[in-house]
Amino acid sequence: MLPNVRRRDALILLLPALVLFAILTLYPLGRGLALSLFITDYGFEGARFVGLDNFVDLLSDRFFLGAVWNTVVFTVLATVSEVLLGLMLALLINRKFPGRRVVIPLLIMPFMLSTMVVTAIWRAWFHYDFGFLNNLLAAVALPPVEWLFDPDLAMLSLVLVDLWQTAPLTFLILLAGLQSIPPEIYEAARLDRATPWQIFRYVTLPLITPHLALAALLRSIDSFKIFDKVYALTGGGPGNATETLSMYVYRLGFRFFDIGFASAAAVVMIVVAGALAAIYVSRILRGGSHVA
Amino acid sequence: MSLESRQALFRAVLVFAVAAIFLTPIAWMVGTSFKPPIEFVGTGIQILPDAPTWEHYHALAENDVWRRVVNSIVVSLGATALALLAAFPAAYALARIGLPHHLDRVFLVFVLIVKLAPPIVLAIPLYHVLRVLGLLDTLAGLILVHQVYALPFAIWMLLGFVRDVPIAYEEAAIMDGAGLIRRLRSIVGPIMLPGLVSTAAFVMILSWNEFLYALLFIQTPSKFTLPTFIATMITEDETLWGQLMAIGLVASLPILVLVGVMQKGLTRSFAAGLK
Repeated sequence: MLPNVRRRDALILLLPALVLFAILTLYPLGRGLALSLFITDYGFEGARFVGLDNFVDLLSDRFFLGAVWNTVVFTVLATVSEVLLGLMLALLINRKFPGRRVVIPLLIMPFMLSTMVVTAIWRAWFHYDFGFLNNLLAAVALPPVEWLFDPDLAMLSLVLVDLWQTAPLTFLILLAGLQSIPPEIYEAARLDRATPWQIFRYVTLPLITPHLALAALLRSIDSFKIFDKVYALTGGGPGNATETLSMYVYRLGFRFFDIGFASAAAVVMIVVAGALAAIYVSRILRGGSHVA
Repeated sequence: MSLESRQALFRAVLVFAVAAIFLTPIAWMVGTSFKPPIEFVGTGIQILPDAPTWEHYHALAENDVWRRVVNSIVVSLGATALALLAAFPAAYALARIGLPHHLDRVFLVFVLIVKLAPPIVLAIPLYHVLRVLGLLDTLAGLILVHQVYALPFAIWMLLGFVRDVPIAYEEAAIMDGAGLIRRLRSIVGPIMLPGLVSTAAFVMILSWNEFLYALLFIQTPSKFTLPTFIATMITEDETLWGQLMAIGLVASLPILVLVGVMQKGLTRSFAAGLK
């Protein structure tokens, strides 16, 4: 801290950011919260105050409950698979081998692509008649699969795309974790004649637990928001089999203009996301850094 | 060959095989953008074209895709400039000047929570904000709402870089009578220039790839950015894959360049969550 900088200066320096936050987040949050207490199709003119009725109605709306379930399923499947694949890749790359410096940037590429580009590729790959995946199945004499239009499979297809795009992120976080383990610990374990599995189970795993937790937390916060892929791959279908909460709020608010009801659903999302964020924030405040 | 170097070689082969499988979709995208339609509307599993063609890139030129490229460039440059202009002074103030009652901490936590919140929850009220400001369906409006993502990200990233600037330099400058602006311009700014550049690159990527707000707040097709243009093509045309992959490649090249620009702070920003 510089002691002799005036408070007034601090305020001036913060002002542009504060104004943007006021317009773009504080006011919208307040307005959204207020709108959730009304039945309305745009703003407050002609709106009818209904108190908490929207929230009560949400609990009996089977589309909302379906969206909650779909979001939970997606978040759990995506987070678990991404952390596992990231861990496998990180373990594979952790030791030295020729070409290591080349392969790391290559593996990160899917994460750098625009989500819409990723979605375009996979939408083509999932195509029933000419898609790469079904052509691959045909090449090994297996029957074609309705990747996006089979209600049981569509969610897994979404997870697959998300896994492909974001495993590089969990890989990077876990690689950083593995690299931070001092080599002497492994030498000591080897001197004690520990098997590779014992080393992994009792040395590596406990030491990278903080990184595993960070990767899982970041991925679940992010998966909880999922919108783009659902919008462009399945549109929430077939039926409502892949409609997540973001998609649900979008459909209600921007297609059916049921603004009060959509705002109530958004408030529920804020509460859940806020709880997840609180875990992350408390880790950061304890750790003093936002990396781990 | 020693056992150890043989193991390393085996590991290299294994890793490159895994990487090849992992990157097949990208190879397919590049290959398909050069395939004549007969090669991808079929049952083959070839990655690379037999008879390469530029036809999809020519078709794109006629499709007015360049207008969307320009829109995307305008929006991402504008959003980056605005984010840095607001975030750099804010990050400096938060790193160097104590606010009363831990307000700096409260502000940072708030910023972080906004960054982590699902963007859809702000969408309905933001529509109203843009309408009141007269910025609905404009690129300027999109630049503004991109600050919802860009500003928290830029503040948190720059905060770390400001803290890396040794405070002693500034203390010495204060002794010499240098004011705040002077110190920002000739000490803090230059020292953290690499940090500013990589923050700018990340914000640019963020804005370049942004989809939800572009979908909701831009209605006129000629004002679409690349992600919304691609989304329209995905959902409306069944198998114009050659053109689609050509756009995909066009949309991806600037990102690869930007990633090259910002080696510094790469992992830090990844961990901060780029999405």
